[in-house]
Amino acid sequence: MAMDAIRISNLAKRYGNVTAVEDLSLEVRPGRIFGFLGPNGSGKSTTIGCLTGLLDPTSGKVEILGQKFDSENAAIKRRIGVMPETLGLFDPLYAHEFLAFVARMFGLDEATTRKRVSELLDALELTDSSKTLAEYSTGMRKRVAFAAAVIHSPEVLFLDEPFESIDPAGVALMKQWLRRFTDQGRTVFMTTHVLETVERVCHDVAIITKPGKLVWQGDVTVLATDGKLQCNGQEFDALEPLFLHLTGERYKDLDWL
Amino acid sequence: MDLELIGNLIRLRYKLLWANTRTRNGKIALFFAGYLLLVMVISLLAAGGVGAGMVAIRSGHGTVMAGAVLTGIFAQGLLASVILGFGMTAIFSETELRRYPLRAAERRVTRHFIGMADPFWILFFVLDLGTAFGLYLFGAGGLGYGFLAVLLLFACNYIAARVLAMLVERLTSRKFGSMIMLGAVVCLGMVPAMMEPVLKKNPALVAGLKHAWQITPPAAAGVAMTRVDLAALQALGVILVWTVALFALLAALERWPQKPAAVAQNIKVVWEDRMDRMAAVYGPKTGPLVAHWLRFYWRNNRFRTIYPLSLPLAAFLLFFLSRQTHAGRPFGGGPVPVALTVFGIIGFVGTGQFAVNQFGYVGGGFRRFLLLPTDPAAALRAGSYMFVSLSGALIIPAAVLWSLFGPIPSDARMLAMLVGCSLASLFLFHGVALWTSLLGPRRGHYKQAFGNDLSFAGNVVVIGGMLTLLFGPQILAKVWPAAISTAYWFAPPLLALVAVAFYVASLRYASTLFRARRERLMALLEGKG
Repeated sequence: MAMDAIRISNLAKRYGNVTAVEDLSLEVRPGRIFGFLGPNGSGKSTTIGCLTGLLDPTSGKVEILGQKFDSENAAIKRRIGVMPETLGLFDPLYAHEFLAFVARMFGLDEATTRKRVSELLDALELTDSSKTLAEYSTGMRKRVAFAAAVIHSPEVLFLDEPFESIDPAGVALMKQWLRRFTDQGRTVFMTTHVLETVERVCHDVAIITKPGKLVWQGDVTVLATDGKLQCNGQEFDALEPLFLHLTGERYKDLDWL
Repeated sequence: MDLELIGNLIRLRYKLLWANTRTRNGKIALFFAGYLLLVMVISLLAAGGVGAGMVAIRSGHGTVMAGAVLTGIFAQGLLASVILGFGMTAIFSETELRRYPLRAAERRVTRHFIGMADPFWILFFVLDLGTAFGLYLFGAGGLGYGFLAVLLLFACNYIAARVLAMLVERLTSRKFGSMIMLGAVVCLGMVPAMMEPVLKKNPALVAGLKHAWQITPPAAAGVAMTRVDLAALQALGVILVWTVALFALLAALERWPQKPAAVAQNIKVVWEDRMDRMAAVYGPKTGPLVAHWLRFYWRNNRFRTIYPLSLPLAAFLLFFLSRQTHAGRPFGGGPVPVALTVFGIIGFVGTGQFAVNQFGYVGGGFRRFLLLPTDPAAALRAGSYMFVSLSGALIIPAAVLWSLFGPIPSDARMLAMLVGCSLASLFLFHGVALWTSLLGPRRGHYKQAFGNDLSFAGNVVVIGGMLTLLFGPQILAKVWPAAISTAYWFAPPLLALVAVAFYVASLRYASTLFRARRERLMALLEGKG
């Protein structure tokens, strides 16, 4: 049996008395697009932080590509790509400078760096080289962050809300890349709030509630063949009703609105 | 005018100010700020208000003295707000205020009322008021005229500061504007020393300057505070005219949009520029990080202003301090301690205020350093190498210039002393800066060319370092004169070796601390801490 691309065991992250993630355990198989869902503030970004070395877990274990992972593990960091929630860009740089910097730090040789940066800028329509990253629109900044995450051809890709603010053509291109990426046996772990996208793109989904507690995990590809999602003896024909059922999100109706 | 809405926004500004005190650091800052303000108000009220009143009335020169004191306060207000950035916080920008149902005129009033209600400006209001009360208590002038003069002068001072700040901002946003600005400030600093002999030779010039001064707002306020006749009314009229004229200029500047910087059309993509070539000496692992820091800071207006002006500033300091070396003056220890001071300052003046807050301007980019497949602290070390290299690069040209144009003849031993002093300050200061970057960071504004972006700790290190170098050699010259003579030429190079050891140890141990504090740093730099 192939090893899991990501394995999380009893992960917890606390800030003083506040628990952001509590006793989270899950496995992600290689070659899959894994959707990690949850309401706002449920601990999705904190979990991604712990999985990518941005944050140190308070307790629990993270394994990536079969190796124990922590923030000091440079060998694993070289094999993963991350598009963080806050993008992590350096505003005064031009896109090609930023991408070349990331590529060089990931050990790409000069010829490969130049080739890949040019190809990514071209493919993602970031060819206006007169603007610094600070002058880019939100969507363009997101494209740059996506390019930085994939430039070194990682084996596992972490994307924190990747499609928000990007235009439909950009989203379509990114989805196409992600499918090709997983067809080659590589893995994508992503968070998003757009459930329709998750149904169309993801193979597996996990749903967490506050504070970072896993409440459901399953294969959502069944939806494409008119199958149903099972949960606590109930059947759901889409992710949205399942998500609302599990997270208990209810909004008070405002009669004046 | 929707006064209720304007009032709500002003209240919100103070609520936000108060909200900053909810954190532990905020409480400490509030305590210190409150304490310092109290001490300043008490001492300045005594010196600027009551003191000025007493001296003025007794000497029979009440009007001139009041004008002089108010001119000092006015100039301090301008300088502190424009150069140091105090009291100029745009808590609500025009764009932010557009979210509220306010018309253009109401937005302008709101912005400026909020500006004037800043604690910094209130301090200046209290100083003006203290002067007026001081004069009134000693029987010079009327309270009504005095109070009106204070209100008008305060408004005029604030508006003048805004106008000046906008002009400076527009100048510094242009290419080389920051350098022109700092050059102008240095020239302004030299004016008193250069004017003294000119004025002595031309008494008519003094009379002309005095006449011009009398129609300035603070001099006019001095008249309004010390007279109760028609002259007081005329003086109030002068301040009013100034205030209205400055307000019209401010309104025109606000309406006159700033020209955007010329945008190049698809500039040529450069894969390896001089930054990459310079940083290549650090090897393939650290080189790209050093090149990144070089590029990052070289595009910062403030850095581009300060670093190239380091040597001219040092020369100015040498010129200025050398005039104070006669016995009995503050720098009476002779030319050698002054030279040591200047060479010591060269070791950090170009990069100091950035090195003590290395990550202060990277914002969300800080996260990127943690995602790279390197030791997380590599970015800290690479940044420090960059600062040390840049400041270190100034030492040799400074030594060559000193050998050619120095005010005292130098032999090899003297040069070893001076270069040793520079190196000691370079490594000692940048070692301390590593700790300050981790223990006292502050989120700064990358695009702002002026103002003080440092934390309390950062200010202590930069200002403390400057004061130590200014007075340290002077104290040494007094208590142990032989120590700064060429007989002990080897002492500064030895000190430099100790400083290198401290720097190396700091690199190592600060890297450990970086790992422990990186989550806190990330939260702070992303504005969540």
